[in-house]
Amino acid sequence: MDKVNKIKEYEKKNPFRLFADHVSAVATGLKYTFKPTRITLQYPEEALLLPNGYRGMLRLYKDICIGCTLCALVCPADAMKMATEQGKKYPMINYGRCVFCGFCVDICPVDALRETGMHDAAFQNRRELVFDPDKFNADFQQEMPTGKTVRRVKAIIDENKGIKYEPADN
Amino acid sequence: MDVLALLEFYILYPSFFVMIIFPGLIFALIVLLYTIWFERKIAAKVQMRFGPLYASKRSGGFLQLVADAMKFVFSEIIVPEQVNSTLFALGPVLYLLVSLLPLAAIPLSTIPPTGSVLSMYFHEFYDPNVGTGIMAAVVSNYSLLIVLALEAVTPVFVLFTAWVTNNRFALLGAVREGLLSVSYDVLLIMASLSLAIEFHTLDVAKIVEAPIPGFVANPFAAFLFLVGMLIGTGRFPFDIVEAESELVAGPYTEYSGLLFVLSMGGSYIGTFAYSILFADLFLGGWQPFTGYYGMIFTVFKAILVLMFAVFMRSVYGRYRIDQALRGSWKYLFPLALLSIVIGGVVGIWIR
Repeated sequence: MDKVNKIKEYEKKNPFRLFADHVSAVATGLKYTFKPTRITLQYPEEALLLPNGYRGMLRLYKDICIGCTLCALVCPADAMKMATEQGKKYPMINYGRCVFCGFCVDICPVDALRETGMHDAAFQNRRELVFDPDKFNADFQQEMPTGKTVRRVKAIIDENKGIKYEPADN
Repeated sequence: MDVLALLEFYILYPSFFVMIIFPGLIFALIVLLYTIWFERKIAAKVQMRFGPLYASKRSGGFLQLVADAMKFVFSEIIVPEQVNSTLFALGPVLYLLVSLLPLAAIPLSTIPPTGSVLSMYFHEFYDPNVGTGIMAAVVSNYSLLIVLALEAVTPVFVLFTAWVTNNRFALLGAVREGLLSVSYDVLLIMASLSLAIEFHTLDVAKIVEAPIPGFVANPFAAFLFLVGMLIGTGRFPFDIVEAESELVAGPYTEYSGLLFVLSMGGSYIGTFAYSILFADLFLGGWQPFTGYYGMIFTVFKAILVLMFAVFMRSVYGRYRIDQALRGSWKYLFPLALLSIVIGGVVGIWIR
């Protein structure tokens, strides 16, 4: 019974020390208030520069494709399907299923599939997520909501600020 | 007497003006919007973020709060089944009303006998204790007692809202409020009492008119009052009653739309009322100004205190209920006794 009622309390050797700790906590807060260091990336205006080999959205080079169906075979998420156009088979992709694993790019014997650096896209409905071979054949482009050009930045670890963003020239 | 002068007389009449226009209802709602914006911005600053920004970028996202308020006002009020809908709607309204009530007795400024817009009320709002007119809705020799009594009523309405909503989270929040109110009311009353002993009066106006401000005369009482204020109105680190991560929103869990705004506004306006009292008791109130300017100065100080109170959110986490209770009884209560002794001793020299 005695053990049950006992509430754990951390031992405080010196209550004055405790008070000083509170004061220093508030002082730290005030320091950050008057000297703010923000590490927010203001996304629609600026975006991170993506590294080479980034697995973004895919694109198809229709004139190279030989219609071997290997990409549809290897796709672990069943996102890639083959469509027949004038007797020839081309892959089509459903981005609602795609997991961006890049297996199809790796397995393609003629390099007809490529990864683009594009990854920030928005769609109105699920039907738009399915790209038929013709749509799949072009580089994917979408207007940014701000209507301005996106500033590409790269993240740099900084001693004082934590993370800093510097403009990167492509 | 022409109509304009009559209108001016009634609009500037302290009982109406204090309660409805300047620090009262209308101004308090503006302060409420501003405070919530400020709380979000300052927490964001300390946590290395930006906070609300995209609604009017030039003013730092200030219009976000207006947008939020409009969203809340026009969203549906959902009344749960098996709830008395009249009482359900009455809960937050009464809570807001009661947290606004203490403003009635808190003096905001003095009224000089001549030379001010307010001078026509000099005789009606004359305080014989101080010797001038007092800008307050109700002038009394016992204003400190009235304010404390009115502030002590607010927890009852928190319990009322929680009980009426018939929700488990709300009931748990109400139990916490009940437990906490015992501890913070003691701190607030003892801190105020030590000042009353020190300045030999229960009239807030006379305490303000005293030669030294309360913060210098009794720093312990000032500290205790501040902490009591934080606990009493659910500001961090004592956000125990409406603990978001544990109790959804505590007593206000079931409320939505306008009723939620009212119930949330209640605690902020309560903090504002306490801040005005704090500015009066400890920060010298309207001194050295009188009349209109004094009033603005008092409210300005109160807003500074309010800003500090909401700033605590960015520094602290939340105490557990037992930690808060133990802290207030084990460490702050002896300090309160000490502050009363200091009040008694220092009071010998203050005459």
